[in-house]
Amino acid sequence: MRLDGVGKRYGTRLPWVLRDVSLEIRPGRLVRLEGRNGSGKSTLLKMIAGVCEPSRGTVTGRPITGYVPERFPPSLPFSARDYLSHIGRVHGLAGGDLAERIQACLDRLGGWEFADVPLRNMSKGMCQKVAVAQALLPSAGLLVLDEAWTGLDVEAKAALDEVVAERIAEGGSVVFVDHDPNRLAGLDAERWRIADSRARRVAAAGAAVAGSAGSGAGQEPVSAPVSAEAAETGPQPPPQVTKAAAAQTKPRPVLTEPAAAVAAEPAEADVDPASAGLPAEAAALAAEPGAAVIVVAGYPPGAADPVRLPGVRSASRDGDRVSVAAEPGTSDRVLRTLLGAGDSVHVLSVRTAPGQPGGER
Amino acid sequence: MIALTRYQVALLLRSHRWIPPAVLYVFGVVALGGIRLPLGAGLAPALSWAALMLVPAVAWLTRSILIAEPSAARACVAAAGGPRRTQIAALLAAVLVGVAFGLIGIVWETFSAGLPRTAATNAIRLGAAFHVVGGGLLAALICLFVASAIGALCNPPVVRRPGPGMLTTTAAVVLAVAWKVSPANAALRTPVTGVRTSDWPHGVPLIAAVALLAIGWAVSAYFAARRDG
Repeated sequence: MRLDGVGKRYGTRLPWVLRDVSLEIRPGRLVRLEGRNGSGKSTLLKMIAGVCEPSRGTVTGRPITGYVPERFPPSLPFSARDYLSHIGRVHGLAGGDLAERIQACLDRLGGWEFADVPLRNMSKGMCQKVAVAQALLPSAGLLVLDEAWTGLDVEAKAALDEVVAERIAEGGSVVFVDHDPNRLAGLDAERWRIADSRARRVAAAGAAVAGSAGSGAGQEPVSAPVSAEAAETGPQPPPQVTKAAAAQTKPRPVLTEPAAAVAAEPAEADVDPASAGLPAEAAALAAEPGAAVIVVAGYPPGAADPVRLPGVRSASRDGDRVSVAAEPGTSDRVLRTLLGAGDSVHVLSVRTAPGQPGGER
Repeated sequence: MIALTRYQVALLLRSHRWIPPAVLYVFGVVALGGIRLPLGAGLAPALSWAALMLVPAVAWLTRSILIAEPSAARACVAAAGGPRRTQIAALLAAVLVGVAFGLIGIVWETFSAGLPRTAATNAIRLGAAFHVVGGGLLAALICLFVASAIGALCNPPVVRRPGPGMLTTTAAVVLAVAWKVSPANAALRTPVTGVRTSDWPHGVPLIAAVALLAIGWAVSAYFAARRDG
């Protein structure tokens, strides 16, 4: 989907909240919006989600959309199950499918036991689980999260992280705002900064594994050799990034290294998402067209050899870090299996290699 | 659209916000029925009175559903169903509950005033009964549409603040009932000024009411998509 020259104001005599925003959200893409309080992040999210229409410009090609608002109110006169049934029906679900989706979504967030509790009797956290669950009812398409993690317990937060990773791996797209700069830092996000009622892309997809350090510190990112190199190699990407770049982008430790931060300017250039900012082995794996490449860290030494997992096309292991290329369509299952290998396992990145509809460029 | 409307009707019923307008309607039809003397006696004036009472009741119902949902909850539904369709569904929900009010009112008035009968044999005059009840239904429909348009135009998201919203709604209801230009007023006067079986007495008011309804809903939907959220 894309926004073309989108502007928004809430009245003809009121100032523009946003003006001239053009951005494209491709399938398989994670987009992070950043900006100060009141900068227009929520307004932009609402226009992306289709909650409101822009005052100027057009929004086209929006897929089926789930939206989690900033604060979900507990004052609706429904139980969680009834509310989710209503929203599910609006999304076109019905009958057994609907009941299954409701159970799956609530279960995933650890909220199934509250299914028949009236929303007005729920705590903030329980209510937030319902708010997230209603957005997850459509199993594909666009997910728009406005600080959706706020108020969730640790397990539900992790579950939502997983859902986002899966959604992207399956070719859906996710747009989010969160005040925690490390939120989804392991995933490959395109970053946009909203300021002075304008939106500016500060990091292309593919720069995110390294780039999260810049956003993580909550400061303007500093120029770094990695991103400059990645940007240069962008238009005609070699199958693998250079050894130097790969060495610098070893995920976990590098996340705190300023050298790995992504510059605002070079990132404006087209960075090839399949190779830049990715460990060498994952880049090699990404050369397999159509495969979903998953990189996790903290994989226990005693756990099953990842290459033997069902749906895995190829895999490589570097200490506790594992990169696998999953067959198209199985990334969800593979991801779950990998995460199920132990509590220490966490997702560093999920991306789709070029060569299928969910692929890049 | 069905799912959206179903959600809005459930919201209106489960939130119990339909009860105050229902009490107003029942009170107006049953208790205030005795003061409708200027309209005259008989079934036709009784049905006119039941239609008249729909104007405040349905305007209030419409206000109730438009303020029933916190904006974040509305946003979730709008993301799923689109903001304009969600708004239309809310307005439609109030009309559907209003239809139930109207039918109850018509049945009540028909039983309490009685159907027209011949003086000689006391048999029900079917033709006249059909015409009077049909006229009453049309008058009720016109009042329903006018009330829905008022509710849509005088409440959020068009008029956002509660004070101005309630004042304009009340003023518009009074105008709709009392002002001669209003389709609702015209519909109410018709049975009183005499029923001719040859023509359709409510043609012009009905067209005017439908036009008003279309304008009211379109403006409300526009505001829901552009100014809200």
